[in-house]
Amino acid sequence: MADVIKIELVTPSEMLFSDSAEMVVIPGSEGLFGVLPRHAATLANLQRGTLNVYNNDAITRRFLIDGGVADVLPERVIILAERAVDLDAVSTQHLDEQLVDATDAEVAFVNAVKEAV
Amino acid sequence: MANLKDLKTRINSVKSTQKITSAMKMVAAAKLRRAQESAEANRPYSSLMQQVISGLASKASKATAPELLVGRETVKTHLLIVVSADKGLCGGFNGSIARQTRLEIKRLEEEGKSVLLYMVGKKAADNLGREITDKIFERVENLQGSNLDYNKVDTVSQKILTGFSDTSFDHVSIIYNQFVNAITQNVAVTPLIPVQINEDKDTGASNYEYEPDENELLEQLLPRNITTQIYSALLESFAAELAARMTAMDNATRNAGDMIDSLTLVYNRTRQANITKELIEIISGAEAL
Repeated sequence: MADVIKIELVTPSEMLFSDSAEMVVIPGSEGLFGVLPRHAATLANLQRGTLNVYNNDAITRRFLIDGGVADVLPERVIILAERAVDLDAVSTQHLDEQLVDATDAEVAFVNAVKEAV
Repeated sequence: MANLKDLKTRINSVKSTQKITSAMKMVAAAKLRRAQESAEANRPYSSLMQQVISGLASKASKATAPELLVGRETVKTHLLIVVSADKGLCGGFNGSIARQTRLEIKRLEEEGKSVLLYMVGKKAADNLGREITDKIFERVENLQGSNLDYNKVDTVSQKILTGFSDTSFDHVSIIYNQFVNAITQNVAVTPLIPVQINEDKDTGASNYEYEPDENELLEQLLPRNITTQIYSALLESFAAELAARMTAMDNATRNAGDMIDSLTLVYNRTRQANITKELIEIISGAEAL
């Protein structure tokens, strides 16, 4: 079995993703960065962008996250995001519902999700 | 001796009250489960956030650290965020918040500080009434509920952050009911600015790489941490409110039951006494012939 790293994606309302994978690519505020097992301990600020989980050299899960912070240790990475959406499970109808009385930040986020899907 | 018709009416009215209280108890119990789940779902996020901030704070140089972390040197004004319920009928829930707030205001004023209040929820503001009209910084109602919106909490914390940078106040703490379990709630006073840090926990922060540097990260994270803390306090408070309501309504239902029993006893005694009296009248009437 290939070397894996434990990934947790947490938002204020739920634990969105918690599993092991070969690699995860995180949208840092200084640019995208990939995290493989035994990555150096890092604390990185994040910006809006897609978070890709890789297994067998292919993307297996995609999330859109809206800012936050990533806490990377050699054996695990924790991503704290204020808003996050699973791009494989999201429906346009649900997104439109969210747009009703949404704040500017939310509207921008929902539009970004639509673009990414 | 009360007459039978009055007693009957009273029994019926207590019975319908009992129906209401037991329905409210059931509703609170059902909602409580969901509120508890969402409070628990929030715990990983807020505890991880705390952990990250504590690690960063131990690394940041005290001289250049943001005011949100270390606080201001001279503290003149305190902001208290008071979290109570929008609705009553939940036992001592709102009363204990109001009492704690009063104590806290008294304590701070004795220290020569002035106090501002951010009232979340209707009931504590009603309870404190005129005592606090000159101290209100902001009031918000209908914020809590089954689906607490993170973005709405964010607008609350934005107002607080703006107020802090305008030096409207120099210290912020939040008063809310902590959910311990379904029968216990605890009034907690937690400081938000400056941030409370568990120094004892070794987070192994010494060999972290920071991207961007520590201070910039802290500046990004501290405002978010305020929102997170308020958010989790509101979730806890809502769960505690429902738990308090459930217990209060359970007691009310039981008391109504006791009352119905004793009223029924009086009713039956009165009925018997009436029958006996009528019999005596008939018999003595017959004897007189």
